[in-house]
Amino acid sequence: MIDLPVAWANYISMGIFIFLGCLVWIVPKKAILADQPETDRWRDLRIWAMVLIGLQLTIYWIFS
Amino acid sequence: MHPLDLAVIIGYLALITFVGIKLSSKVKNAHDFFLAGRSLAWWVIGLSIIGTNIDTNSYVGASGNAYNVGIAQANFEWIGAIPAMIIASLIFIPLYWRAGVYSIPEYLGLRYNQGVRVVAALIASVFAVFALGVAMWALALTLETYLGWPIWAGILVSGTVVGLYSIAGGLAAVAITDSIQVSIMFLCGIIIVGIGISDAGGFNAFATTLTEDNPTHLQAYLPADDEGFPWPGVILGLGFVLSPAYWIGSQAILQRTLGARTQWDASASMMFAALAKTFIPLLVVFPGILALVMKADIEYPDMALPWVIKNVLPPGISGLMFVAIIAALQSSIDSGVNSTSLMITRDIRHVLMKNHDPLNDLKVGRYLTLLLLLSSMCIAPFIGDLGGIFTFLQTILSLFQGPMLALLLLGAMTQRATPMAGLWTLVSGVLVSAILLIVLEWNLLYVAFVSFCYSMIVLWTVSGFTEQLSDEKLATLTYRPWSRT
Repeated sequence: MIDLPVAWANYISMGIFIFLGCLVWIVPKKAILADQPETDRWRDLRIWAMVLIGLQLTIYWIFS
Repeated sequence: MHPLDLAVIIGYLALITFVGIKLSSKVKNAHDFFLAGRSLAWWVIGLSIIGTNIDTNSYVGASGNAYNVGIAQANFEWIGAIPAMIIASLIFIPLYWRAGVYSIPEYLGLRYNQGVRVVAALIASVFAVFALGVAMWALALTLETYLGWPIWAGILVSGTVVGLYSIAGGLAAVAITDSIQVSIMFLCGIIIVGIGISDAGGFNAFATTLTEDNPTHLQAYLPADDEGFPWPGVILGLGFVLSPAYWIGSQAILQRTLGARTQWDASASMMFAALAKTFIPLLVVFPGILALVMKADIEYPDMALPWVIKNVLPPGISGLMFVAIIAALQSSIDSGVNSTSLMITRDIRHVLMKNHDPLNDLKVGRYLTLLLLLSSMCIAPFIGDLGGIFTFLQTILSLFQGPMLALLLLGAMTQRATPMAGLWTLVSGVLVSAILLIVLEWNLLYVAFVSFCYSMIVLWTVSGFTEQLSDEKLATLTYRPWSRT
């Protein structure tokens, strides 16, 4: 444990977020929108998740 | 204190009390009191989640830690929150919402058995009483530091203000006042960042000054051999166990999502909270770093934030910042009393008192809210002496995190987990955590990860030999979006 380089932590964090970014698209759109009209694209929470993940990737890249 | 600051503080207290009491006319039954009649919009809940999440420790403690370790402190808001919040939003919140439960212990009771429900509610409630005492003490201490009020007066005033709106208005009042409080916090955070960077001569000058003497303060992680926050422990313990256990299992956090007007609002609220959470370091980490850049003359790191308020902010704004700290504490206290009152009213009373009358839930809930507030007000002055007990309770609570997360994860995501396996996993998982933490003296982050892995294996294995719930029950209690029409 002790010799693990700190840079790995950032790579692992970014890897987790990229993995999560792929995972969210497995959730069906119907399950997310539930009772909302399908035409409202902004209500697709998978897109919200991608924005969040993009922000996190930027943060861990900047502070690496 | 400048008269302008005092005016801002009095104006804030009057506004919060007025809004809370005004909402009380909408409370007709326990459903309105505990779940706001399922009427809350996603943005109100999202801001309320953040208000509940930020407490004294976040403001004063996180600034102090940031003064010591720099941006690494922000991991609690990033890798230690965002992945779990996204998963909670897309998977767990829709599941809880559709199950129609009032609380997470109630879900555990339906998915496993009533024993698991009572244990989960009891542990959370006992811990909450002491946590409320600590929050009340911190609030009184803040009022003493800035306004010179005696501790007893601070406790009395803050307890009365929180009591007025949370007893009268229930969850709706708590959520709406929380959202006002968080908006104030963000406004103050943005002002501090603006003034701080401007005083330092721009962002580049700020970063250069910071890293001259503290080269690692702009690095997201600390070395693997760091005693407090080793990076493997942060990722495995915080990111994989403690954070998901909190974001998918904390009643105080999730209760407001169960009060959403639609399932989509419930899910969107957590995603919106995650967006706000990304920027929380501006509020709680930046002041600590700013104090370091401005070479603050302070005795110990926790004085970083008070130093910034006193020396960086102009009159009026420093009063607003003071309001933000009061708001952070109040929003944690109001959410704590409301959610604990719910767990005692329904998860403990309904199970242990067989002849209870559900129609009395509103009355019982209001009395309990008052009782919890009074208890925390009574405990608060002695919290210094009770520090040992609180630390002990905090340790006990942490022993449950790994096993509880395993129960929630396998319970929600698979049909395999059985009621009997759930109970055995909870009991043996806590025992394993206790041995690792108390006997072997492991770091808490590693204890959380290992006890979680152990619990997953035991729950999976024992479930293979014990009786499952019926398919009919599992249909609403497990996450199966692909089979739903």
